[in-house]
Amino acid sequence: MKRVFNTLSILGLAVLGVALVLFLQNWMSGTVALPGQFFTFTTIFLGIFIEAAPFLLLGTLASGLVEVFFRKEAIQRIMPRNRFVGALAGGLLGFVFPVCECGVVPLTRRLFRKGMAPAMGVAFLLASPVLNPIVILSTFAAYGWGLVLWLRIGLSLAIAVSTGLIFAVEEQPERLLRPRSLSLAPIRGASLDLAVPVYPGSLGSRVRRALSIAGEEFFEMGRYLIIGSMLAAALQAVVPQGALLALGSGPLLSVLVMMLLAVLLSICSTVDAFVSLAFVGTFTTGSILSFLVFGPMVDIKNILLYMQVFRRRTVLYMVIVPALMVILATVFINLNLGI
Amino acid sequence: MSERTHKQLQAIILIGLGAFLFYKILSGTLYFYINARFTWLVVLGGVILLALAFFAWPRSGQAHTHSHDEDAHEHAHSHSAWPLLVLCVPLALGFLVPARPLDSSALDTRGLTTNALASFGSQAAVQLDQPSDQRNVLDWVRAFNFAADPVIYEGEAADVVGFVYQDQRLPEGQFLVGRFAVSCCAADAFAVGMIVQSGEASRWQANQWVHVSGTVQVSYLDGVPMPLILAESIKEVDIPPQPYLFP
Repeated sequence: MKRVFNTLSILGLAVLGVALVLFLQNWMSGTVALPGQFFTFTTIFLGIFIEAAPFLLLGTLASGLVEVFFRKEAIQRIMPRNRFVGALAGGLLGFVFPVCECGVVPLTRRLFRKGMAPAMGVAFLLASPVLNPIVILSTFAAYGWGLVLWLRIGLSLAIAVSTGLIFAVEEQPERLLRPRSLSLAPIRGASLDLAVPVYPGSLGSRVRRALSIAGEEFFEMGRYLIIGSMLAAALQAVVPQGALLALGSGPLLSVLVMMLLAVLLSICSTVDAFVSLAFVGTFTTGSILSFLVFGPMVDIKNILLYMQVFRRRTVLYMVIVPALMVILATVFINLNLGI
Repeated sequence: MSERTHKQLQAIILIGLGAFLFYKILSGTLYFYINARFTWLVVLGGVILLALAFFAWPRSGQAHTHSHDEDAHEHAHSHSAWPLLVLCVPLALGFLVPARPLDSSALDTRGLTTNALASFGSQAAVQLDQPSDQRNVLDWVRAFNFAADPVIYEGEAADVVGFVYQDQRLPEGQFLVGRFAVSCCAADAFAVGMIVQSGEASRWQANQWVHVSGTVQVSYLDGVPMPLILAESIKEVDIPPQPYLFP
């Protein structure tokens, strides 16, 4: 079945490739005019890819280095026993590993394989795109030491930790993860039941091993980054933003619109604060916050990357639970803080 | 395909992606996609890609070191071709499609931003000190946002570069000269513009890059004050090396 699917997908992509080349030839010779949207799509897609690829590469490098240099037992020894403390520590781990939303996925999976508890891992995954020095600085640059900055930090941490705690009922990470993401290559005989030995050998051979793991992971995650950026770019090239923004200014509707926008735009958390400035004034403060808190946790490219690591059901919880909490918190802010 | 071929293809694609990043930097089209302050990041990405390619290339005697432990399912997966093909998409689009910065078509879907810039703080204040004919489109729109009454800018000299956008809302004899402002990459671009009034406004086609100079007046678009240039000269120019403005 798998084989048939693979053959079909290769055939399909080959046909698409030939069609693309023919189309481009015709276009160059002036027989077909490409619509402007196609160029918009290409420019936005390549923009996201060029910007995100280095971050994904850094994430896979971090993952490779963790794999070869950190002993599983050593990591487990420093993991907090208490679930709440663990989730909180996971939420703050972004200060130690300042990876953003693309790089955090391979790194989290690696840490799961090294025995990190589910609550801590999920909290790390959701919080670190906001709770790291770079993103806090850029939010500060855009908003100053104001309410928006503190609420963004506070809400992101609270929501990531509580979502993580929901997963604390699972003792074993393998119930949350796709089986493949625990057993898949990069390391020989890897399984959670075995004490995974640190890759033996000299420093040079370990670094080589780390780089080769990073390369494998870049291929594995890179395709989801690419598909996600293509979706986001296609939507941006076709859907008028004005229509979306015209939908809502009420306390609830404005929040929903901005969350939807965050998911569609799929922009990096390091700059989303600047982007959101464009909506200050026309949109409620709560909705701006929902954009700043929800966007880094969930967007099109993230969802595709999550699906690569977690089971479908886990991904569903990881999207819906933060979404509901963000809605509750920001609508509350809209209604009660009156700003 | 065999483990070895697969590894070789991976290495070739990694080299291709690294080459693609350096090609964009060297051909000067990188700034069609991202904000210039992230150039170092792209250089870093390119270096990492080439390093990964170097270590991904299978060496003799190493090809099968870790495939024995994997079960059949994994084995089939790690050799399927579609992940490799997906990674070729940016290569195909990057090398085959002529590079073009965002233009009127993107402005149609994104809309014109007229109130964007109220809170960029000290940075913006500095830029308002510039002589009026050194302000770019974004500076002008900002100046109009900051001013209690933009009438204070009437009669100042303006000298800006941007692309032509034929806005349906404008009367005969006027068009917009637009620019996109990009903080990170093209995905976060927002459009700003100034109205240009000229006897030969209809001569200019959408997406042509023009250099407009003239004097400024206050005009209104959908009730929002907008800077208008009474054009004394409009010249066609090449796409500037940095087509986007960086807020």
